[in-house]
Amino acid sequence: MRLLLAEDEKELSRALTAILQHSKYAVDAVYDGQAAVEQAGNNAYDAMIFDIMMPKLDGIQALKQIRASGNYTPVLLLTAKSEIDDRVTGLDAGADDYLTKPFAMKELLARIRSMIRRAADYSPKVMKIGSVTLDTEEQSVSCENSIRLASKETRMLEFFMTNPGKSISTEELFRHIWGTADPVDQKIVFMYVSFLNSKLSAINADISITGDSDYILETRSSQP
Amino acid sequence: MSSIYGEYDKILEIIKNEIQNRIINYTNQEYQKTGMKIYEHLIARVKTSESMCEKCRRKGFPETPETALKIMRDSIGIRIVCSFIDDIYANINYIKSFPDCRVLEEKDYIKHAKSNGYRSYHMILEIETAYPDIQGNSPGKYFVEIQLRTIAMDSWASLEHKLKYKKHIENQELIVSELKRCADELAACDVSMQTIRTLIQNS
Repeated sequence: MRLLLAEDEKELSRALTAILQHSKYAVDAVYDGQAAVEQAGNNAYDAMIFDIMMPKLDGIQALKQIRASGNYTPVLLLTAKSEIDDRVTGLDAGADDYLTKPFAMKELLARIRSMIRRAADYSPKVMKIGSVTLDTEEQSVSCENSIRLASKETRMLEFFMTNPGKSISTEELFRHIWGTADPVDQKIVFMYVSFLNSKLSAINADISITGDSDYILETRSSQP
Repeated sequence: MSSIYGEYDKILEIIKNEIQNRIINYTNQEYQKTGMKIYEHLIARVKTSESMCEKCRRKGFPETPETALKIMRDSIGIRIVCSFIDDIYANINYIKSFPDCRVLEEKDYIKHAKSNGYRSYHMILEIETAYPDIQGNSPGKYFVEIQLRTIAMDSWASLEHKLKYKKHIENQELIVSELKRCADELAACDVSMQTIRTLIQNS
């Protein structure tokens, strides 16, 4: 699982990064809101943790921009005790949870786990990129034709459509869809990417997944 | 009762057998080479005189040999049922290589499924033969309709066809959308099986 951490206090950021990494998360640390928006646009994250008080863009402004771009990755806000209004605006801006400083590390870890677990329920049921519509509840993808998807295919396509144009590694896909404990060979990722590409081509989709170990969902400018 | 095709019914049989044999020979050759058949099974028929008469009546044409042979284009029909989607296109390429046949019409309902979920590939050929045709052409020209599908597409089409006879049922809309869901699920299996075969062949 990969996390984005935006916290401008360097000491706290270092400590959080160390503990999160110890809990087997890959962590990208940034120190202002502008960098958080950029990183969220470049990489696929399982969850993001933003401090509210940050230079350039504050956590709430960054969150608003990220949500406006169609990114529904779960976000946890870190707030100071007195910032009740911030918590409310934060939640209304699309945050999934908040934690008041100072907090216990144990609680932060539990809230991250809980947020990731619930992420599937928060994401929209119908997503659209290019001319392709994914209905996660019906497990079907349609463009000119429609076709059914298996449950893991649905989750994989949902992950790609949440992160269009971003390079996603086999490792990340495997962790996101099969989980860490699953002993299945990671070659299965390639197989499911192949299944999805065949199904996208069977519906004459204008999107496809390119790459051979890092994958990107791309929109094709013209159909053959 | 005499046939709507008149004296041409025997020629239709001969042409049907000729095309059918080409496709059978093709799959036998491929089987010798690769151990895999290009189709699973095939049905070839000359449309019965009764159904041809009925079709002419339904479409408002006189029940004459001219209509049956020159306006209707499915007097000879061949359905090729394949195991895998790619096999369909292999057969199409082979059929397009016939020097005495011209493809008059092609409809790819596999890439462009009908709104009810129907999937199949349709071709109308015009074949030039040594036999005369009803317009006195020499070589004579005859139409052949070819449909190509996978086993899954064929089973959906044949089951859906059986349900069609009961019209004006309750919940018509719901049933149509559920039938389409079945078609999309079968299509998903076809695409997955094809992908697995490609992965095995490439590994």
